[in-house]
Amino acid sequence: MTEFVRTKPRGMHERVYRALLRLYPSDFRQEFGDAMTEFFHDRLTRARAAHPIVAPLLLWPHVLLDFARNALPARFDSLFRAVRRLRKKVAAARTPTIRDSRRKDWMLTTVLQDMRYAARGLTSKPAFSAIVLATLTLGIGATVAIFSVVNGILLRPLPYSEPRRLMLIEHMDPYGTVSEPEFADYRSQARSLEKIAAIAYSSANLTGGDEEPERVRAARVSDGFFQILGVPTQVGRYFTTDEDKPGAATVIILSYGLWQRRYAADSSIIGKDVVINGTPRTVVGVMPSRFDYPSSSIDMWVPLRLNYDSLWTRNNHYLTVIARRAPNVTFASSIAELNAIGRNWTREYPDTYFPGKPLQVKAAEFEDALVGKSKPYLFALLGAVAFVLLIACVNVANLLLARGEGRRKELAVRTALGASRVRIARQVLTESALYALVGGTLGVLLAWQGVRFLVAMAPSTIPRLADVSVDLPVLLFSLVLSLGTGFLFGLVPALKAAPDSSSETLKESGKAGGQQGRGITRLRRVLVVAEIALATITLSAAGLMLRSFANVQSVDLGFRPENILTMRVSLPARQYPGDRAVQLYQSVLDRVRGIAGVRSAATVGELPVRDGWSSWSILIDGAPMASVAASPAAMPMQVSPGFFETMGIQLARGRVFTDADRNGAPNVVIVNETMEKKLWPGKSAIGGTVKMLNPTSPWATVVGVVKDVREGGFLVEPPPAMYFPHAQSGLSAYYWPTDMNLVIRTQGDPLSIVSAVRRIIRELEPAAPLARIQTMDDVVAASVSSRLFSTQLLAGFAVLALLLAGIGIYGVISYGVTQRRFEIGLRIALGAQRGGVLRLIVGEGVRLAAVGLAIGIAGAFAVTRSMRALFVGVGSGDPRTLLAVIVAIGIVAMLASWLPARRATVVDPIGAMRAE
Amino acid sequence: MPASPTRADRDAPESRTPLRSIDFLILLMLARSGDRHGYGIMQDVAEHTSGSIELEAGSLYRTIRRLQDDRLLEESNRRPAADADDERRRYYRLTPFGKRVVAAEAARLRRLVRIAESARILAPEPAR
Repeated sequence: MTEFVRTKPRGMHERVYRALLRLYPSDFRQEFGDAMTEFFHDRLTRARAAHPIVAPLLLWPHVLLDFARNALPARFDSLFRAVRRLRKKVAAARTPTIRDSRRKDWMLTTVLQDMRYAARGLTSKPAFSAIVLATLTLGIGATVAIFSVVNGILLRPLPYSEPRRLMLIEHMDPYGTVSEPEFADYRSQARSLEKIAAIAYSSANLTGGDEEPERVRAARVSDGFFQILGVPTQVGRYFTTDEDKPGAATVIILSYGLWQRRYAADSSIIGKDVVINGTPRTVVGVMPSRFDYPSSSIDMWVPLRLNYDSLWTRNNHYLTVIARRAPNVTFASSIAELNAIGRNWTREYPDTYFPGKPLQVKAAEFEDALVGKSKPYLFALLGAVAFVLLIACVNVANLLLARGEGRRKELAVRTALGASRVRIARQVLTESALYALVGGTLGVLLAWQGVRFLVAMAPSTIPRLADVSVDLPVLLFSLVLSLGTGFLFGLVPALKAAPDSSSETLKESGKAGGQQGRGITRLRRVLVVAEIALATITLSAAGLMLRSFANVQSVDLGFRPENILTMRVSLPARQYPGDRAVQLYQSVLDRVRGIAGVRSAATVGELPVRDGWSSWSILIDGAPMASVAASPAAMPMQVSPGFFETMGIQLARGRVFTDADRNGAPNVVIVNETMEKKLWPGKSAIGGTVKMLNPTSPWATVVGVVKDVREGGFLVEPPPAMYFPHAQSGLSAYYWPTDMNLVIRTQGDPLSIVSAVRRIIRELEPAAPLARIQTMDDVVAASVSSRLFSTQLLAGFAVLALLLAGIGIYGVISYGVTQRRFEIGLRIALGAQRGGVLRLIVGEGVRLAAVGLAIGIAGAFAVTRSMRALFVGVGSGDPRTLLAVIVAIGIVAMLASWLPARRATVVDPIGAMRAE
Repeated sequence: MPASPTRADRDAPESRTPLRSIDFLILLMLARSGDRHGYGIMQDVAEHTSGSIELEAGSLYRTIRRLQDDRLLEESNRRPAADADDERRRYYRLTPFGKRVVAAEAARLRRLVRIAESARILAPEPAR
């Protein structure tokens, strides 16, 4: 190629400028490169006159901008010029009448011609097309499916009015949520907030009509809650300010789900009464289906009705607070104001706030609070799927290159007949665009099904799943993705398609050889190395996720979840005052223990792993209270005798509860090891005493210490916990709960006894709804379902990546074997062992894999480092995972090259050589 | 539907107007000062627009290539004195067709200015 620069560059600036000129197409460069360099030189000279060093530097922004504006357009110019030239040539060959009538449609005609040609190619080689399309469909389909999920969860705006002004307000540990007086202070003092509302959770028994009694979950919300979120009701209205006042008429707003399920979506429900916990309440509104704040499991909203004149104590943190910032107030300035309010409290109420642990606001923008946790998982999946798509592109590019080889003669003939390189490149690109569009369409169909599958399979803990669908933005994304994909896999074959010299190709005998053929073989190897590297990265990420999941699951929960049935029973509270609930549960347990296949049964207030916990302030060992702030805290649980045995929680020392620990007997308590270690450091807790921070609660004596249970699931350290006998809890733990979880250990399948248990409860208390009937195994599985789900998907993508990379290796080696038939035949004829031939060919595949692995492992370090937040107990460069990846890639590479190699060893030397 | 242009139409200077303002400026400068090289054109343009348009090399030569393709300007073989020259420079001049197109564009603009004057948007300038 003639170079445009005829003299040496004069200085640094000019050297850089010349290098940059390469951004222009070569024809442009050849015509104007020197002139432009001269132009630049003149500018430089003039600038130096102003200042020898600074002024030339100031020139660069203009120059770079000029490159940005013109280099790429100049390439298009060149393309159009080439097209125009060709058009003239074609037009000149035609009779004038035809030329005139065709001139306007020329562009369209050639495009149509290309399309027709491409379509013919597509259908004339159905097997080839099927492989290309299947690869593309898989790659594009998977990418579009995952993008739909990301779009629905992360990209689509939240369904609230002006969601960017919404925030969630909590406090840093140890305070957690917000207490009533704190909320009242924020409400009256925070100027940066336009509106603020508090939420508390509760559940209630819904009765009435012919329907079964039902346990429903309610959000108790203060005035302004609905206005802050700004979603209009489906029917009816929001609560009024007056309805949030204590003693106001009792009203409720139904969720769309409850309205559909229990009231058949009847709009005349507005103004009617429904019976909640035995009290009639008037329905004033129904929210639309997309409104599910604060959680999709909420069935109804009721006014919180705080009495601002006599609020609950300041250390009782139980409210979740949401707020809408005033217009033009930033998140940060709002937090600063709330923190300032908090500092005042620390000064004013030293008894409440831990010395040395000032109250800190932990606020989050709404979006972060809702979907922030899913972000790293989704991005990891999107990254993995993008890699799969890239690998798919590489495979298709490889296939097209291989076929391009076969078509070199055809293209050479076309070139000889006057087709320009541009024309041929365009035709090859049209072909890939056609493949991409067909593959993209099939991919969207696949994604459409895939999204339904994903949404159905996804655990409900993933937020905003209802918003996930294949919509217009997703379709646009798919179109761009398909065209981009087509360009990506079509570019290299297109550039390589047009032979440099047609006569050369025509002269070649068609066997391996020639400059062009060797260049393409090298290019295909580079592509295979690239896809092995990509597969290595994807596999490493998936491997680390799998190991993390195994690490999570290997954590000892502190109990044995297998073969346990659990369900929540809610007695109507009014009918079970005092310890009457205890007696009823006792009879339930007595009869449940009689069911065939039941080994033991017990009750517990809060189910481990699922229900979470709250810590309460306590006093120990008879010591008087100094201040709330100085008191320790622990999680109280009410359990029946037999609880520890049923759950398989091990007793460390002392004894478990018996039926003798009844109301009236000496008050007793069992603590966990964490609590013992924390509050009785270095000595035994047994014999110590515990009292809830409540004037009426008695001192309870510690009679046993049990092993820790991971109340918050696998990844949460066990909190200090204390267990009170249900029978005594009215005194020692504030109240006798009427809501309890049954835990039943069975010999066989726990679900087989559900109907028997249900019958017993129906007989003993028909008004008590049963809810959340689950095996303990399911409870545990649900706690890690998001992680499992994304790990499975990632592993699936990794396997896909490995498979595609394997196909890529197979393609290249197999093609090489076909090309080298003559050489192999010769070797065998000259006495080469078939084993040696096998080694030769497999060795080539393994070498490619080794280079790809080396690059991929370096890439894996970089990529998995950014995923560190998702890993548990395993670093991004975990040697065992990397070893497994190397072995996996190695096996696939060997297999993928062994198959074609075996074909090589059966080459008949005479036949192979005669064929040439 | 208007009839498609015939060859005669295509070669009429009016068929190329209105010109893009930057094309017009470059052609005009060449019409004024004869053969110029790229940097010279840039300087002329900058001078006659009081520095408000300062062409960069890429924009300039892309435009030149386009105008060349449209047969409005061509490379000139005539060079100034050898010592002021550099063989790397390229000199350009208007083609006869280019001259007619510049004239047509100038006439078109004059007609527009007349309209502006008669609408009292612009005060008429006395003829010099």
